[in-house]
Amino acid sequence: MNRESAKALAVGTLGVAAAMSLAMIASHVSPIVGFNAFFYGAFGGKQQIAETLASTTALLFPALGIAIAFRAGLFNIGAEGQLLIGGLLAGWIGTRIDVPPAIAIAAIFLAGAIGGALWGAIAGWLKAARDANEVISTLMLNFIAASLALYLVTGPLRAPDAAGPELSLLPHAYWLPTLLSHTRATIALPIALLAAFALRYVLNHTWFGYRLRAAGEAPEAARRAGISLSSVALWAMAWSGALAGMGGAALVAGELHRFNTQLSPGYGFIAIAVALVGGLEPLTICVAALAFGALESGGLALQAAAGVPKDAIHVIEGLLVFALAARRYLGARGATV
Amino acid sequence: MLDDVDLTCEAGEIHALVGENGAGKSTLAAIAAGELATDAGEIERSGRIGLVHQHFALIERLRVWENVVLGHEPQRGGTIDRDAARAFVREIGERYGLEVDPDALVESLPVGIRQRVELLRELARDPSILILDEPTAALSPGEVLRLFGTIALLTQRGVGVLVITHKLDEVFAHAGRVTVLRRGRIVEERPIAATTRERVARAMIGGEIPSIPAHEPTHGAIAVRVTDLAVTGAIENLSLQIAAGEILGIAGVEGNGQTALADALAGLTAFRGSVERPSSIGVIPQDRLLEAVIPSWSLLENAMLGRERAASAKPSWRIDRAAARTQCTAIVERFDVRATSIDAPLSTLSGGNQQKLVVGRALIDNPAFVIAYNPTRGIDIGATATVHTELLAARNRGAAILLVSFELDELFALSDRILVIARGALRGEFADRRFDREAIGRLMVSA
Repeated sequence: MNRESAKALAVGTLGVAAAMSLAMIASHVSPIVGFNAFFYGAFGGKQQIAETLASTTALLFPALGIAIAFRAGLFNIGAEGQLLIGGLLAGWIGTRIDVPPAIAIAAIFLAGAIGGALWGAIAGWLKAARDANEVISTLMLNFIAASLALYLVTGPLRAPDAAGPELSLLPHAYWLPTLLSHTRATIALPIALLAAFALRYVLNHTWFGYRLRAAGEAPEAARRAGISLSSVALWAMAWSGALAGMGGAALVAGELHRFNTQLSPGYGFIAIAVALVGGLEPLTICVAALAFGALESGGLALQAAAGVPKDAIHVIEGLLVFALAARRYLGARGATV
Repeated sequence: MLDDVDLTCEAGEIHALVGENGAGKSTLAAIAAGELATDAGEIERSGRIGLVHQHFALIERLRVWENVVLGHEPQRGGTIDRDAARAFVREIGERYGLEVDPDALVESLPVGIRQRVELLRELARDPSILILDEPTAALSPGEVLRLFGTIALLTQRGVGVLVITHKLDEVFAHAGRVTVLRRGRIVEERPIAATTRERVARAMIGGEIPSIPAHEPTHGAIAVRVTDLAVTGAIENLSLQIAAGEILGIAGVEGNGQTALADALAGLTAFRGSVERPSSIGVIPQDRLLEAVIPSWSLLENAMLGRERAASAKPSWRIDRAAARTQCTAIVERFDVRATSIDAPLSTLSGGNQQKLVVGRALIDNPAFVIAYNPTRGIDIGATATVHTELLAARNRGAAILLVSFELDELFALSDRILVIARGALRGEFADRRFDREAIGRLMVSA
């Protein structure tokens, strides 16, 4: 964890705590009572901890993916769509194969990664071939992903046992093993942590990671040194999407046990905040994901116990992204003056 | 940055402030103009001090008159009086020989004209002292003369002009007084008549002037052959050859096709025609901070740029850190890059030392072809001597070198042959080191 990311994390934590206090006071709840309910909801028992860890996992995959793109200088805000397409392919593969569970789970994650990678690569290709602004293309691809998924599950892939916009249930053997019995905390969490360490290695110790960072940091210097910016854009977006897609696979195999178009309540967007709060450093992002996971589960408890609307938590998360984005933008501008 | 500096600039004088990069010249200028605060000491100003930065501070998307009147727009009933603004720009332009179309968009103007706009903007505020920071860095010889003509008009009207530069030619041709700054201290201040070039140069670097090796003619086979090269909007049907062991200098005013030529030869831009060149190539880009380095990264990571995928690495996806460290250390030692550590951020180095790293990175593998684009722009005398020595050493090893430079002195010192480029075409050739400054200057501005 470098100094910059540690600072972002500290500022983020304090900012969230302050904003939460305000939200509690505005809801006529004493912050002491409120934080008590919040921390109980996030860490109060096995079930609460498991909820926190499940949210952490769901945020960590796309946040790591977003960090890859951001480090390459690409503002991928399409993690939500990449997650959805990854989940769709994962959920489809899971109902189509008949292999030993370990292989099936590997195949489900691989399918998620491929689905997300393909979806991310579309924006990467548009950037590389046509210099299309990736903010616009990834944002729009979110909508296309949602419509495409809905069309497929209600049309060509329609499942006989579906009660809604969803695919068939995965065979029970393919469900991800849980870390804590009868909870939503699954082995997807250690897989995500492994991905974080792998990403750290790739960024710092491989030529691909070096090119990616160089392209993000100083595109003109990188280009003149012979680094193909098109290639970086394409592969960075593909890997970015792959991680988000693995997040979709984790939700399919670990929580819903089937693909549903309502798979993600916006994890792909909250993950942008997680990546920024984590200073775009993989290991710091793990800490940030835990903090946001706690916000998610604690926020629910806060609503149930103290009547502070859960939306207030989302407003706080949004403010945090806004503040961090502004800081980054102003910081970047200040450096060039 | 600065320590106990006393500097005066009197009405009607041209005062040159010289010093190596990092000596504190620009800091001093910013303090004098009130853009930076001091820790101690005071500034006395009689009237306004205008400052024209080395890197222009114009708004590219606005028109000339909009840039000039920005902040004190002539008004008429709550709106900007455009006609008055245009007339105002024309009037000061005529008064000081700075004619510019008031309605031109700044982004469409070449560097020399932008500087006029920059000058107009400061003159519009009627300064009593005008500070020019490296005003001739991007100007042709003709434009330099024109600029000093404008400066002379200003001094006649009682404006004191402080010119920050490291070009001693200009100092001795135009200034009345010279102050030498070294490491944030003033080490010399004299009227021009009471000093010499050598004395000022020694004061700038605090020692003897490094000499570069003698220029022995070498003969080699043609290494680079360019035939009918064309780059859309920049060059037309350009043909040239460079022999192994030859430095080919390209003289020209900035923006006449040099960038396209260098980029085409480096394989960085699309072109028509044929380019035959060796595959081992070293490039020294023209804009160090934007095109050559990543300032926030360490020396080590910067030295790896473009060579991060080393053949020696096992497994093949890894970066061979040990090899990279060895190589970076070799560059630092051979090219005299002064840094506390190769793990220090590059931004902690002076411009000259950063450039030595860039040059070292381009030359360390002994490439057969070198493209050097203004390799000593904005760096100090000591670093310039190192860069020149190394380019000549590369030539003597048999490298073909394309040297694009806006400094005729540099071209004359290094080139075996000079081609003059103007408006995207070659206008003249000067071989066997028989260079004629007047003739080259004329060809540079030929239509």
